[in-house]
Formats: sequence, structure tokens, C-alpha cells
Amino acid sequence: MATQVSRSILFTHTRPQQGFRLLELTPELEELLTSKDAPALELKSPSTALAQAVIDPSAQDYVNLCTPTQTYRIRQVQSSNSIHILRPSNGEISKADIKVVEEEAGDEGTLNLPDEAVTTIAKCSSTLELHIPPGGFSAIPFLEKSLRLYDRRSDDDGDIAMDDSAASMDPLDAAAVRKIREGVWVDIPVSRAQCELGWMELCAFVDAGEEVGCWRPSARARLGVWRRLVEGAVLQGIDLEKQFLVGDLWKSVLDEDEAAEPPFPRALLEAVVRRICVVDERPALADEVKWASFDKVECAQWVGETYLAAIAPGASSAIGRSDFLRAWKDCLPEPWRGEAVLSKLTNGCYKSPDPTTIHFVEPSQREQNSKAAPTGPAAAAKAKNTRNWHELLKVRR
Amino acid sequence: MPSIKLHPSSASSTTKATNPQTPANPLPPLLQTPTGLAILELQGTINVPSSNEEENEMIDSPGSNPNIDPASVFETPIGKLMFPDYSVHNPDDTKWMKRAYLYVGRYQRMTGEVKKLPRPVAVLQRHQGEGDGEELEVVEIVRYKIFFKSRPEPVNNV
Repeated sequence: MATQVSRSILFTHTRPQQGFRLLELTPELEELLTSKDAPALELKSPSTALAQAVIDPSAQDYVNLCTPTQTYRIRQVQSSNSIHILRPSNGEISKADIKVVEEEAGDEGTLNLPDEAVTTIAKCSSTLELHIPPGGFSAIPFLEKSLRLYDRRSDDDGDIAMDDSAASMDPLDAAAVRKIREGVWVDIPVSRAQCELGWMELCAFVDAGEEVGCWRPSARARLGVWRRLVEGAVLQGIDLEKQFLVGDLWKSVLDEDEAAEPPFPRALLEAVVRRICVVDERPALADEVKWASFDKVECAQWVGETYLAAIAPGASSAIGRSDFLRAWKDCLPEPWRGEAVLSKLTNGCYKSPDPTTIHFVEPSQREQNSKAAPTGPAAAAKAKNTRNWHELLKVRR
Repeated sequence: MPSIKLHPSSASSTTKATNPQTPANPLPPLLQTPTGLAILELQGTINVPSSNEEENEMIDSPGSNPNIDPASVFETPIGKLMFPDYSVHNPDDTKWMKRAYLYVGRYQRMTGEVKKLPRPVAVLQRHQGEGDGEELEVVEIVRYKIFFKSRPEPVNNV
């Protein structure tokens, strides 16, 4: 009986067809796109140079979809079915054509025609799917390749590399700095938030010395900054665990005769302060770090790792453990010396080739180790849950 | 520039749908979207007699121009779409989703169903950006599809 009342809808094909793409959304993306002030998203791929420098083992050419905070890899999945996109139509077709669908006239002499119509305006043979690889996305490998290494030593006075104008001509204003920074990020195929995080993690900074440039300080340079910073703070009686003015800290770092020619750019000091300051108080990258305070546990950990990365970056340069611990303690303000114990370092950030020595392990190397673990049954179980045959086949291969 | 902007559905595309010239949407409300776009998936292909060569180029290029000269647009009837168990009197009942018919011509019928998509699908289209470069826009987010997975069967004319 329902059949009696159900209407039939004329189904037509419109030419010319339009071009559409179908993108499968994750729940977070759906929420974002349907929110009131939905932000514009970005499809990003690395610049040619970066794509060659930072090789992604899983894909040669790729496009990432970036929300302000999140990154997804786009995968085009072909379908053997045809997927049509319909829209309502007035069904304006010629009388001759209608015979395809309906006998011309019923006994009543009227066309037995559906008066409503939908029409297909596009056909898609593939869908774009999104996924996040197990390690997630990070801007750091890209930043490491795009920023220049800053490796001037500022910790010992006799250093001759310290000749030129670390003293900047004209300090750049905040807007100019932002623009330069964003110029770098355009080519990095991850979200803004991830770019910011990586930038900050590396203590990267923009400097207008002899030429405007974006830098990432070497571990040695960062350690140098830290040493000067502690020295200055102790001399000027700045308690690093309580809120202090970064401007005061900068003044305390400078020797009397250095005010005109600082040992390193102020932007580098600010980048280091931003990296190690208490996370909750960390201002957005767009804002100036005016006030800061350090947490001794996190700070001591950063110093330990930075020291190790500077002095013993790899197996060939391993140093004695007790020497390391002593040096680490010496880098810290007096009351923090108790923090210098191996158990406070990030898991996997160091290796001991033998019981008395120690060396640093690069973060990229660490990830490989932890990535190697979840193969076998866990990965197979994961693939079983997926409805995607690409992944099913990948595991079986 | 390696970055392409993807805009969320803009106000302009929503107003397009409320344009008085837009035909009424004959699909059950569950399948209706603000812009009227819906997804129909079928196993196989609908062969439409192609009058010229443009067919193949148009099909999968996201770059084709949506602002086509209306005079050159024409519709070819394919058949009829029916939801035999759907009743306007009982819109909350979803049992009707289990059955849908697509008549192709007068003597062939495919049986299918209306399915909720496992994940909502955004329909993207090229968007005229400010000045340079390609930009994309989310035209619609679709949550259901009309799905015909079986082969057509012969029927008498209805």
C-alpha cells in the first residue's frame, strides 16, 4: 500500500558535468567545519627542496590537510562504483526524451510523469580519505632543514668566531618577525600550531644581524646562552623560579662593555626563555615574552639534555657518566644541583655504550626505535578493524 | 605556493539554496541538505550518449567551471528514483531507508537502500579566490547516500 502513495522522482543527467571532490571527514573536522566561525583549512605540500630533504618513507608526493592545530595526510581512494552528486532539478526535458522513462500518455491522455526531479551533476570515481600516521606530524624535521644553524660560541671569551654584528642594526618589529616566520612555515606541510610548537622546541629565532634570517641554535649555542643566563641571574640576584622580567635578565647577561655588542642576539635569549619557561605561563609565539619563570625540574632536564647533545652528540663522542653528571650539576644554579640525575632525563634520549659512558640520541633516532616495536600482532589487529582494503593488503604484504 | 586554501561553506553558497528559483527538493528530508546536494552511489556506470568529447574531461577535474552558460546546459532523462516505503505521514520511522528503487529506462530496475555514511563526506569545489591561485570550498557536508549495489533486474513498465 505504501507503494501506492510513494512518489517517483525523475532522475536525469545534466551536461556539462561539474567538477567536485569528495572528502571524508573525521569527527573533529566535521565539528570544526560546521562550527559557527569555521576557519579556512589549508592543503599543504612541502616545497620541492623540502620534499627532497625530508623524505617521507610512506609517500613520495603527498598533500596534507591542515586545520589550525591538526594535520592529516590525504589519501585518494579509487572506487569501482560510480558516485554521483545529485541536486534537485525542474526536470526540463523534451517531450520526445520522456519516452525513455515513461509511456507517452496514459488512457486519460495525460502524461504519467513525475513532477519532481533530481539530476546528477557530477560523477566522482574516488574519495579523499584522511589519516594520521602513528608518529603524528611534526614541523621539526622540516624546520631543521629550512633554518640556518646558529653555532656561534658565546660562552668563552677567547672565541674568535664572535667577531661580527650579532648586534642588530635595527631591531625588527613584531609584525616583521611574524611575516618572516610565516614565510618559512608556508613550505612546511603541517598545521600552524605544530609549526609554532616545533619552532619553539628548537628555540628558533629571527635575527636581523648582517642579514635577516631565521636561525636554529645548535645545542652548543643553546648551552652557551643558558650558562650566560645563569651567571647573569646569579650576579643580579634574579630568582629564576619566580617571575622575572625578561628585559632584566637580558641586561644581567650583558657585561658592561657588551651593551653595544651583545654576545648573542636578544631574540635567541628570548627563544631559550620561551622554551624553558613554565608551560602554563608561556605566551603565544606572536606575543612577546615579557615575564617568565622557570620550573627547576623541567629546566634541569632541558639543560641536561642540551649539555649531552652539545658535548656527546653520538656514540663516537660518548663521555664518562660521572663527568657528565658533574658538568650538568655545574650548569645549574646552586639550589638545583640535586635535579641532575639520569632518571630525570627523557626516556630514550641517551644511550650507554658501556656502563661508564653516555651519549645523546637524536629525537629522530628515538622515534625509529619506538616505531619499530608495534608491528606484528598489534598492527594486524589494527588493520583488521579498518574497513579499508589498502591497509588490509599492506599488512599482509 | 604549495599551500591551497580550503574554505568552509560560505554564506554565499547557502543563499544560493534559498534562491526562489531553486527547485523543490523531492528527496525524503533525511537526504536533504542545505544546498540540495545528495550522493548516489551505484555499482557500474550509467552510460549517457555523449554528444561531444568534453564528457571525459569534465568528469574528474575539480577545475571545471561551475558557472557554465545556462544555455548550453541540458538534461538527459535516465529513469526514476523511488523510495517505496517512505511516507510523509510517518517521517520519523526510518524503515523506509531499507528500500530504494532506481529505474533505468523503462524496463530495468535496481534495488538499493539509503545508508548513513560511516563518516560524513564534504563535497569540495573549486572556489574563486581573491586574485591568484586555486582555492577550494566545502560546498556541502553529506551524511547519507543512496546506494545501489546490485545489478539491474528486468521489470515491466510501472
